[in-house]
Amino acid sequence: MSLRHVLVILFVLPGLYLDFLAYTSGSAWVALGLLIVIGLGAYIYLDDRAKAYRYLFPGLIGFGLFVIFPLLYTVFVSLTRYSSSHLLPYDRALSLFQQETFSNGGSSYNYKLLPQGDAAFLLYLEEEKNPSRRFISEPFELNAKASGPVEEPIKLTMMAEGAAPPGQPLALPQITRQKLYLPLRSRHFLLPDGTLIALEGLQKFTARQRLWKNNADGSLTNLQDGSMVRPDFSQGYFVNQKGEKVGVGFRAFTGIENYAQIVTDPRIQGPFVRIFFWTILFSALSVVGGLTIGMFLAVLLDWTELRFRNLYRTLLILPYAVPSVLSILIFKGLFNQEFGAVNEFLRGLHLFAPEWETNPWGARAMILLVNLWLGYPYMMLVCTGMLKSVPSTIYEASAMDGSNPLTDFFRLTLPLVLPPLVPILVASFAFNFNNFTLVYLLTAGGPRMIGGGIAGETDLLVTYTFNLAFRDSGTNYGLASAIATLLFFIVGTLAWLNLRLSARKRKVAA
Amino acid sequence: MRPELKLKLRKALAHLCLISIVTLVLIPFVMVTIASLRKGQFPPSALFVKPDQLSLEHWKFVLGIPYRELVNPATGETRVIQASPSPLLWVWNSVLVSGCSSLGIILLSGTAAYAFARLRFKFRGSILRALLILQMFPAVLSLVAYYVLLDYAGQHFRVIGLNTIPGLIAIYLAGISVNIWMIKGYFDTVPASMEESARIDGASQFQTFVRILLPMSAPIFAVVFILSFIYTMSEYPVASVVLQTSDTWTLAVGANSFLYEQEKLWGTFSALAVLGGLPITIVFLLCQRFVASGITSGAVKE
Repeated sequence: MSLRHVLVILFVLPGLYLDFLAYTSGSAWVALGLLIVIGLGAYIYLDDRAKAYRYLFPGLIGFGLFVIFPLLYTVFVSLTRYSSSHLLPYDRALSLFQQETFSNGGSSYNYKLLPQGDAAFLLYLEEEKNPSRRFISEPFELNAKASGPVEEPIKLTMMAEGAAPPGQPLALPQITRQKLYLPLRSRHFLLPDGTLIALEGLQKFTARQRLWKNNADGSLTNLQDGSMVRPDFSQGYFVNQKGEKVGVGFRAFTGIENYAQIVTDPRIQGPFVRIFFWTILFSALSVVGGLTIGMFLAVLLDWTELRFRNLYRTLLILPYAVPSVLSILIFKGLFNQEFGAVNEFLRGLHLFAPEWETNPWGARAMILLVNLWLGYPYMMLVCTGMLKSVPSTIYEASAMDGSNPLTDFFRLTLPLVLPPLVPILVASFAFNFNNFTLVYLLTAGGPRMIGGGIAGETDLLVTYTFNLAFRDSGTNYGLASAIATLLFFIVGTLAWLNLRLSARKRKVAA
Repeated sequence: MRPELKLKLRKALAHLCLISIVTLVLIPFVMVTIASLRKGQFPPSALFVKPDQLSLEHWKFVLGIPYRELVNPATGETRVIQASPSPLLWVWNSVLVSGCSSLGIILLSGTAAYAFARLRFKFRGSILRALLILQMFPAVLSLVAYYVLLDYAGQHFRVIGLNTIPGLIAIYLAGISVNIWMIKGYFDTVPASMEESARIDGASQFQTFVRILLPMSAPIFAVVFILSFIYTMSEYPVASVVLQTSDTWTLAVGANSFLYEQEKLWGTFSALAVLGGLPITIVFLLCQRFVASGITSGAVKE
């Protein structure tokens, strides 16, 4: 037995224990996945035929967990109806129905709420008609959360005659509405004889009965008025016989509906198309502008007779060295419409002061300017490397013809340098296509697009999608995931193209 | 025009261009430094400040040093102000997150790059390409899934759940594919002959990797470390969702927290920006030769 075997055992045993824990806590799928990973790992590190994968395995696990899983999850969500009005999974929506009760005219009870320590309470009940029948609950907590998991009814036990309820009961005014009354009203209690009771009005608990009866075909019957509802999975709602929606929506599989919505729904399609074109324009201008400035500086700094070249280079790299979050936020202050340094300077020169925040094109110009400032050093570094690979002999011939540097650059340097730059330009395009941090921190997509809902004039597809998914009003995970999937296809295609391009380049070079 | 004069003119023009661009680059940094030293919460907008407007209050605040602030000028009433938690903690959190994730990324992508560069196995090319293409899925759009994952992990192990630094590091560790390509590009330029002769002398594969290839590839690892460090330092969206309470925040999340919609604390922000940005900038500039060569070699060899 070698060290390798010991190490494998040291990883596999705790892994199996974890797997056991996951299984017993009710997540069978997670347990299965973990088991497969453990098995695969053991095989890779024990069998010599899988030797090469030993170097890949740890990296691929992390990659699978935090890149591939989120991707598949997003694609899956994009095929479902999942939004603020369809938040719960089906079984949770169903259990909300099953929780509903109605008063069936049985006995009613007076109650006292007895605090026990910080958060726990006891409920004490006295039957109205027969005060000698008294009940006490087990300790329970009252949380003010709006939609927690469905809670089991709390059990009550009969109190022995003469026994006093423990602790000091709260007076009625102490039972505050938000913190205590509402949570208490949402709970059900179970008497020893199986009667379900719940708070009705301010003072009384009454015997209650489940409102909905489960039928074999999945529908529910209302025991109070005899009506029936059944889940409609294409709508993501329970509907009654008249076809009206009842209760809250649930998540449901919809196929390509979210994708169809992007194309057909004018409220989505309008902003989407505009944002799409702005995203392309933004990425293209960022790449071209960054390349132009970067190449210009690289060529200048390549001029050996120029003094202070190293000092210049160091200072010019600065925007790349400073964490970009900080520079973006600094620029947010500099471009402030009223008090920012940029407009103060322009006003001082008696030039016009652009509306960087409220005018759509002003905001777009600001984003581009800031992105150029952030992006040119990278291009400069890359171009400097490229220029080094250009043999200086090619210039000697043209120098004899008496050419000038400008024509030299466009006739000789650029045709040599540009082709190998293409993959870098495509990658830079893809990066800017998803440049979330810049837009989110600088303008947050603003100014708002008129009639575009949450869409903003400077939104990129990626920030628009983020807002669709996470802005608190009207979140729509399904639609956001559909756009995210499309976005991935666009950028993924670019990456694939890029690989093809550089593969061809390698072939040409070889 | 005489050629010497022409050359001189050209040089002057070049210097003029460079100096004006350098000025544009430097102005924001000068302004933010001034704003951090200026009394009151002014956005970075001034290049000079009168000596009587100078104050160290923002620096004391971000360093967590208590100081007295005048509440009522008429009565001379003051109160003691001390940040809690000290914003210095966010800088430390950032360094911790970036340091650990960059180290982890080096480890994971270095070993993977070795396999891709030196070993032959099934699906080698496909995995290599798939890694690059799949990583194009923007992390921002994975946030829902990250939330689900960390929430689940946190129910069993508090340490890697939501609102924890290890949880954030785990997510960052997945960003390996670009680095794998970069390191592989470097490995490809290192001749394999030395490793082969070591193998003949009886060294194991792992030994040749650790003893021979790794020492020769130190520069590329320095580059990958610095680039990942800067990237994770600047990462905002994922950190802002995973880290929820101010004691776990990173520099990026904390700095943005000073700029609320209603009240923008520009002075405090500026001090934090200088404090957090300066060390990493200096390190980067010291290593810039390394980084420049790494970027070009990694990019060209793809």
